Amino acid sequence: MRTVAYYKGCLASLSAKELDTSTQALAPKVGLELIELEAVTCCGAGDIHEAEPDYYLHLNARILAYAEATGADTLMTICNVCTLNLRQANHALQGDAQLLARVNENLVSVGAPSYSGGVGVMHFLWLISAGEGYELLQGAAHKGLKGLKIAPFYGCQILRPSKLLGFEDPDKPESLERIIAACGGEPIDYPAKIKCCGFPIIQAREDVALAELIQPIEQAKEAGADAMVTPCPLCHLSLDAWQSKLHKQTGKDFQMPILHLSQLVGVAAGIDSSELKFKRHVVSVAPVTEKLSV
Amino acid sequence: MKMALKIWRYDPVKGERALREYEVDAPEWATLLDVLDIVKDKHDGTLAYRKSCRMMICGSCGMRMDGAAVLACKTRMADIAESGHAPVISAMGNMPIVKDLVVDMQPFWGKIRAVDPWLQPGYSDPGEKEYIVSQERMDTIHKESLCIMCGCCVSECNSMEADPDFLGPAALAKGMRFVGDARDQATVERLQSYSEEHGIWDCTRCYFCQERCPKGVDPRDAIAKLGAEAVQTGIDSDMGAKHAKWFVTSAKTTGWLRETELVPKTQGVAKSLKEVKFAMGLLRHGKVPPPVPPHVAKHVDEARALYDLVKTQEEQGAQGIVQVEKPLSRVEFLAEGGERDPYGEDSFPRPNEIEKPS
Repeated sequence: MRTVAYYKGCLASLSAKELDTSTQALAPKVGLELIELEAVTCCGAGDIHEAEPDYYLHLNARILAYAEATGADTLMTICNVCTLNLRQANHALQGDAQLLARVNENLVSVGAPSYSGGVGVMHFLWLISAGEGYELLQGAAHKGLKGLKIAPFYGCQILRPSKLLGFEDPDKPESLERIIAACGGEPIDYPAKIKCCGFPIIQAREDVALAELIQPIEQAKEAGADAMVTPCPLCHLSLDAWQSKLHKQTGKDFQMPILHLSQLVGVAAGIDSSELKFKRHVVSVAPVTEKLSV
Repeated sequence: MKMALKIWRYDPVKGERALREYEVDAPEWATLLDVLDIVKDKHDGTLAYRKSCRMMICGSCGMRMDGAAVLACKTRMADIAESGHAPVISAMGNMPIVKDLVVDMQPFWGKIRAVDPWLQPGYSDPGEKEYIVSQERMDTIHKESLCIMCGCCVSECNSMEADPDFLGPAALAKGMRFVGDARDQATVERLQSYSEEHGIWDCTRCYFCQERCPKGVDPRDAIAKLGAEAVQTGIDSDMGAKHAKWFVTSAKTTGWLRETELVPKTQGVAKSLKEVKFAMGLLRHGKVPPPVPPHVAKHVDEARALYDLVKTQEEQGAQGIVQVEKPLSRVEFLAEGGERDPYGEDSFPRPNEIEKPS
């Protein structure tokens, strides 16, 4: 078992609880022991980076400090946006002793632990698509998807900027495909799988966001996908919940089921439906569960 | 060595597109631009593309290789040729194609002009006094000043694909180059203008611009700096600014995002009432968590105190992003193999080892 500090972020605590429960249920099957961080806040989701960047840096330093205090060397995330925000702050703090000293002085003065720079931030996708996690996954989820056609949707902030993320080629990623295949599914290829779902501006600029959102869903549908899978709860929310708005705006009713990564692997690995919580999705996942008879 | 590539040709007279294959003999050091020159000189003189300096400074030869915008003169071909792959070369995106690999840059220049890309120092006659700006102040706009306006960022911008009127990464980075300039006196007017629709808050944070820029401008970070300056200056009436500020309020009050209140706080109560039907659909699936009782993080008092503390310190507005540029550029250096000795084996001779002409 590999012990990691677990940062679930905002959405998995609230509107995407199914992501948290399915991740926690799946973790032991892929060799992960999760220490959930409790005394942490939102990473700022890019919004605090844009509104109050120095506060963003301190909030993320505080999350890293609490992760380090668990004794684990890895902070595991389950959201693209958390991953980028935390990795960006981590690289900055690790690369500038003066900056780290100033931030630590501030952290300590408000009663938080200080940070020495000893934690690496890794997305759950990275931990299960390579190395020991992947080997265990192959055993646990073998052939569970019964040939289902799955369209991988990466989202942006797990690929770009690659100098801060850097797990795989940002233009030709294959981690999700590897996982889909290991679970017995058939990965579907389509150009928009590395593009934006529009979520960051879906409230302030809905029309622009919807014009982005339609591309991956439409292309996945045309390519014959039974469902899409994403490693990001923000992508999940726009792909799943905003499909009805695409229907209203364009007349196209895609009815495309959208799975969290942990649900896709979870359903293949036989995780109980009470942990997968498909009923929390806006677009019905029934076409998937019926095909898999779960 | 043999180098193969496929080029998307476009004939504006006939309105026809065609993918043509070429194989040329090129030296090992050849760039994509060198290969295109060989194609044009020896195989097909009708091929159209832009070029000038051949050394990554004029910004003329932006184009796509396998769908990703590159400067042709910066892209070495030997490794690709050795792998046996024949890359597909096409014109940049988000701009109309004139012929083959040449795009119409007029929309691009129109947006650059729209951000008033010149210094507005607030005086008409500099008189006899010399105005000195410290290196530290100029460092604030170091990255934005590197832009060569090649259009690679614009080519890939996901927001611009969805909204062709979006000012876009190049123009906004140019805007930041002047907002951050200590000599410029039009900061407020600029931030107001850039905060309008199709401006700062249209950026969808896809980070394609940051990924593609061949000069390290990091346009997305430049846009975030403009956002931080706008919020700092109180130019925050746009829905995008309100959205961003609600995350700050959430972090310092409950620690976690107050998700359900985000819509009315961004869009205003009147507009969000129109969303009731949509919200009800989400509510049925637990996607609208009740705001009461709030989901409060343990030790949230630390996050509150941190907010008050950092507000008293100097790294306000865009400076909060500028302060991390140096350590982050170190990552970029390492990612490009910077751990090796830049003067080491197979590299350039050390400055003191260069043989001086007698």
